[in-house]
Amino acid sequence: MTPTKKAFTFRGLAGEHRPTLWLAPLLAIVTLFYLYPAFEVLRYSLTNASLLRPDYEYTLSTFAQVLGDPVLYKVIKTTAIFVIASIVLQLLLGLLIAVAVNRASKRRLPGRVFIRSLVLSAWVMPGVVIGIVWAIILNDADYGLANLLLGAVGLGTVPWLSTPTTALISVIIANVWRGTAFSMILQYAGLQSIPDELYEAAEVDGAGKLQSFFYITIPQLRPIMMINIILITISTLSTFDMILALTGGGPGQATEVLSLRTYNVIFQNYSLSEGAVLAVIMMLISLALTLAYRRLLRSEGTL
Amino acid sequence: MVQASEGSPRGGRGITRAEALRLMGLSAGVLVGPSLIAAGCGGGSQLVSIDRIGKEDASNSAKVQLNNSYTHQSSTPSWADGFQKLFTKFAKDHPDWKLDLKIIPDSQTTQEQARLLEEARAGRAPDWANVDSFVVAQFISQGALQPLDQYFDKSEIGGLYPFVRDIVVGDDGKTYAYWWATDVRVLYRRTDLVPDPPRTWDELIKAAKAATKKDSKVDGYLFNGGRWEGTVFDNLAHFWSQGGELVDDKGKPIFNEDPNRTYMLNVFNFLKECVDSGASPKRVATIKDYADFEAAAQAKSVAMFQGGDFEYPPLKDSLPPEEMKKWAISLLPTKNPNDPQRTGTGGWTMAAFTKDPKKLKIGAEFTNDVYVGEGNQVTGQLPTNPKYFSLSKFKDPVYDTFREALKYGKARPGVPVYPEISNQLQIAIGTVLTGESTPEDALNKAADASLAAYNQQK
Repeated sequence: MTPTKKAFTFRGLAGEHRPTLWLAPLLAIVTLFYLYPAFEVLRYSLTNASLLRPDYEYTLSTFAQVLGDPVLYKVIKTTAIFVIASIVLQLLLGLLIAVAVNRASKRRLPGRVFIRSLVLSAWVMPGVVIGIVWAIILNDADYGLANLLLGAVGLGTVPWLSTPTTALISVIIANVWRGTAFSMILQYAGLQSIPDELYEAAEVDGAGKLQSFFYITIPQLRPIMMINIILITISTLSTFDMILALTGGGPGQATEVLSLRTYNVIFQNYSLSEGAVLAVIMMLISLALTLAYRRLLRSEGTL
Repeated sequence: MVQASEGSPRGGRGITRAEALRLMGLSAGVLVGPSLIAAGCGGGSQLVSIDRIGKEDASNSAKVQLNNSYTHQSSTPSWADGFQKLFTKFAKDHPDWKLDLKIIPDSQTTQEQARLLEEARAGRAPDWANVDSFVVAQFISQGALQPLDQYFDKSEIGGLYPFVRDIVVGDDGKTYAYWWATDVRVLYRRTDLVPDPPRTWDELIKAAKAATKKDSKVDGYLFNGGRWEGTVFDNLAHFWSQGGELVDDKGKPIFNEDPNRTYMLNVFNFLKECVDSGASPKRVATIKDYADFEAAAQAKSVAMFQGGDFEYPPLKDSLPPEEMKKWAISLLPTKNPNDPQRTGTGGWTMAAFTKDPKKLKIGAEFTNDVYVGEGNQVTGQLPTNPKYFSLSKFKDPVYDTFREALKYGKARPGVPVYPEISNQLQIAIGTVLTGESTPEDALNKAADASLAAYNQQK
């Protein structure tokens, strides 16, 4: 029996199993505002385009030039330390605050909404403002806020921003301060969705608080923690405004991360093509990490 | 509690809190609404609105891009007020014109220069715009700007400081921008700790160390050493005073070729010596804001710092008079006692992108009426023509020192590779100050990267 060919109708496009028309606006927006710019970045990375010249030609030499620059690997190393430290600390601190707020919510303690709002206020602040605020706090002078407090308890001053190592630690502290709020919100939502019955059953079985935490809370939170890690990775990789205001990437290049280098290459050197290559490298790193996390989630059967 | 009058229909009953708030809101609306409209918030018949100078229905219009600071929306109230008055007067004097304003936030003015160049190339640039003095030469070489000679008096152009003319006058002898506001770098010192101005680098280090001995709570000498343009701009004075040149006539970086290499190494070694000797604290490697010097002065924790003339008014405002009396300003010290006391000068210009003669003329009149002299009087930013130092704003004797310093003024080379040279020198100075690199290694890396950028831009 030969299958009969269905006649094309516009109504068919919007049928239950053919949501093409319903998806069309979304597809248009995604194409116009996400895919097209991404394609343009990719295209510019394959050129020698500069903001100083209207004409350019297609070439792979820009890739060779950027990948052959030893500074790139120093910057990637700094970026890796910045991202890994931010992930670990934001995840742990976010979990800690989420557990505390969740417990406060269950016990209906006063001030829990205030604490949630307070933590969230860090998240809504623009990166530049956060950079400036932390630059004031971590000013190396005796009158810098952090050093003033340390001096008051007799601990002496810390060169927060003037040595390469402490400057990187300072940048991580500022980023963790900003990102912990978002991490907390995600994990708090996850904690709220864990059924109370699980804890009650564990209690009946004689499990202590720590056992409940490690054998119920953590496994139940794992999928949301993985999503959290992906989001922290992406947002930390693209952080540059906060660093620009806090250290400018210095001293020297001690705190220059990939996104800040991209900004410098385009706006200092006017090199659109080199900036595009760096953006492509960042995009590939984000994509690779996301795929790795996704595979990890799948292998655990949680996705 | 708000009470209604006894004769009111409510018969003397106290009104509720909600009603009182509603009444207050209504009253506020009635009072504030017309004021807002009068202030020009979108009022079509007003002479100055949020984004326009002149009446909305004026027969001619031009597009002008301005930095927020140089408009009636400046965050400094006295500047906002001053420009509001100047804009209003200009609008009254030119009833047939309206200027549509695009106002750039002060935090974005640097990035905006690259965008402006892009717009000029695409033929979408505004008719007139604020162009940073250190990119003017680039704009000229790209053919983006129009000559302005016929719109300004020859004596005005001829009276400009030589470092100003060097930048705004192209190789063809035509003037392509009017640079109206500038600044200089000078040495601030507390005379109770450093009575005499140091003339040489050695004297500076010696005086700084002596000051820290006198008062252990003070840092001897602070300077910009962090990762930002100010670090290079300020310290280039030390390179220039020895006769150093960053680039050749073609714009190629030559600061690593002798004798410039020696001069630059001298500067790196001087800055390193400042830190190593204890004359300067290690934290100079983090300073990337002139406000840090003002904070240190307010905290009485610094004996000397290299700052800009623009720090004088805020210092005067923030320090108690008896503290302010201790501060004196002198020209920058040099390596050798007879070297010229060079200083870096920056500032903003007005430049034209339009080819329309009418728009060129009105833009030049706007520049003359609002910014040249008048704008200096409003902002206190140094004039680029010595004759304007006679304005009342510059009567304070300290301006004689600034005026003297301007004689040795030097602008950064306006070549496309300069921003990358600056970026590389910032990194080099940072790594030298933190001990990550030797001056030689740092200089070699900076020179290699700058040359690579130059070759790529060619």
